[in-house]
Amino acid sequence: MRPENYEAQRQPPSYDYELNIGPNHPGIEGNYAFKLRLNGDRVIAGRADAGYLHRGFEKLMEGRLWIQNLAITPRICVPDPVPMEVSYCLAVEDLCGLVVPERAQWLRVMQLELSRIAAHLFIFGGHAATTGMYTPMFWGIADRDLILDLFEEMTGGRVYHIYNIPGGVRRDLPDGFGERVTNTLDYLESRLPDYDNLLFTNQVFVHRARGCGPISQQQALEWGVTGPNLRATGLKFDVRRDDPYLVYDQLEFEIPTEAPGDAWARALVRRREIKESIRIIRQVVARLPTLAGPIRCPIPNPLAWNVPAGSTYTRVESSKGELAWYVVSDGGERPYRTHVRGPSQMHAVQVLEQLAIGCRIEDVAQIMFSLDACPPEVDR
Amino acid sequence: MTHIDQVPTPGAPLPVEIGVKAGAARTNPFARVFDELVRFAQSRSLFMLHYCTGCGAVELPPAMTSRFDMERLGIQPMVSPRQADILLITGYVSVKTLKRVILTYEQMNSPKYVIGICSCTVNGGMYWQSYATAKKLNDYMPVDIYIAGCMPRPEAVIEGLRGLIENIRTGRADAWKDYYRRYDYYLGNQQRLFGADWQTSTDVIAEARHYDLFGPATLGAHTALLEQHQRPLEALEMRIEIPELMRRRSRSDQDGTAQ
Ligand code: SF4
Repeated sequence: MRPENYEAQRQPPSYDYELNIGPNHPGIEGNYAFKLRLNGDRVIAGRADAGYLHRGFEKLMEGRLWIQNLAITPRICVPDPVPMEVSYCLAVEDLCGLVVPERAQWLRVMQLELSRIAAHLFIFGGHAATTGMYTPMFWGIADRDLILDLFEEMTGGRVYHIYNIPGGVRRDLPDGFGERVTNTLDYLESRLPDYDNLLFTNQVFVHRARGCGPISQQQALEWGVTGPNLRATGLKFDVRRDDPYLVYDQLEFEIPTEAPGDAWARALVRRREIKESIRIIRQVVARLPTLAGPIRCPIPNPLAWNVPAGSTYTRVESSKGELAWYVVSDGGERPYRTHVRGPSQMHAVQVLEQLAIGCRIEDVAQIMFSLDACPPEVDR
Repeated sequence: MTHIDQVPTPGAPLPVEIGVKAGAARTNPFARVFDELVRFAQSRSLFMLHYCTGCGAVELPPAMTSRFDMERLGIQPMVSPRQADILLITGYVSVKTLKRVILTYEQMNSPKYVIGICSCTVNGGMYWQSYATAKKLNDYMPVDIYIAGCMPRPEAVIEGLRGLIENIRTGRADAWKDYYRRYDYYLGNQQRLFGADWQTSTDVIAEARHYDLFGPATLGAHTALLEQHQRPLEALEMRIEIPELMRRRSRSDQDGTAQ
């Protein structure tokens, strides 16, 4: 606005004011907005303002073939796209009664866990940046790129790799890939103490994050919190262990939990999950050479594929929480109805609105990043 | 210094014309050399407003940080549109976002450059049949460079930025002038999407006069609509219903979960 067009409005004197954070704001994660009502620097109330990234996925998918939908499913959650494609494939396989070869299942687990590490490295860099520490962000993004390189070699894509198709995976691993994965994992493992020194035991971070945005276990269950945010309240729930899919029941891993439920606990759970994911991938790498055989089962002509009528609900554990597809087929070439249950919807809307009440203005960004909400997945 | 009494009343012409008129005749023989120097300096210190509109934004952190390091080209992220030179549209723009993008674009100071990253900004990409997204970005604002790909790799982003730098240095990056010259066209497309009473708080027509870019296509049928709908900006309202939120909060606290 040009200054000469501006006319100040008189308001009654007050310490209350309203502030918009986002959608174009460095303290907000992605294209998302949050309106705050403040008194001084205390937040009285907050309102999430979503919808900037709405593309209408559930409608789009009804208009495309079953196989075409594979291309758009990963776009729902940008930092962690793999669980989207895997769970959609699981749903289609469930409807058609396809049996996925074992080697493909192990390959999927490897891809899922690599993606989990990448997403966690990305988010705790962002979380650190909201407390004023930018070095972990630079480190996290640089280390995440090593994983993206592995993805590129394995699947052909850095961020979106439509590697899964119903019935298996698209291609096998290149030669010597296991060795390169092991090297990267060794490197990442050697970096973890550095991250601890830099961030997780850093007094700046600990003092800012402790007690910030706490969730009690009962609140978490009422509000539909899942994933690392739920485990940070002390509840040991993980879809990988409690409702195993793929070959997770044959793998050894811990479910890290923390009791306090605040931003610090959430960061720490993610930090410990990286270690567990590394452990899982090592088991997969050791196991893969013993598994010969096909990487996908035969499927009908994908361009004229009538999936049997029925409905199914498949869930996986993404890096943000429980992610599920509800898919209905009426026996046609296209899905009759699809619905995705994303974890970020609860975290970024209900939970964030509740946690913002009473906190200081500078903690709002930290709470949002510590919840690891993913705006594209909120809006879909 | 301007005294408070000299502040012009709304609508009156500005007392002093600031800045060099874009189309003014240059009589100084050194003007060309000077212009080149200015363009060189402009091309090497670009501030990029990083508004993550879509999924392409996820390749920007790698491009900005140590691995691909955009800063070696003199490009840095900037948080405020007033100080930014480049508007990066990173992916699909939904209608709700597009309103904000246009507001942001109009707030930026000229010369300003728009880069459309991702296929979605070119032709709608894989959301071609979506009811919620705008398909072609250059219907709504002039775009300097498109970087196609779904999503483009950081190398492609850097290559696109280098192309922009080259265009600025040679004086070819002047898409922003088109917005003033053909404002009616852009406004018409915006009105088709947002409704006939769409207006922004920026006085684009006055700016077109200011930059001496006012042309025959600046005004038209659509800007005439603008005159009809010109209404004063509303004061910000408090729209958060606090009692309801507090009630929800206290209910969950009473259930034995007080912290
Ligand atoms: S072109 Fe692809 S990566 Fe880019 S915004 Fe569109 S869907 Fe996302």
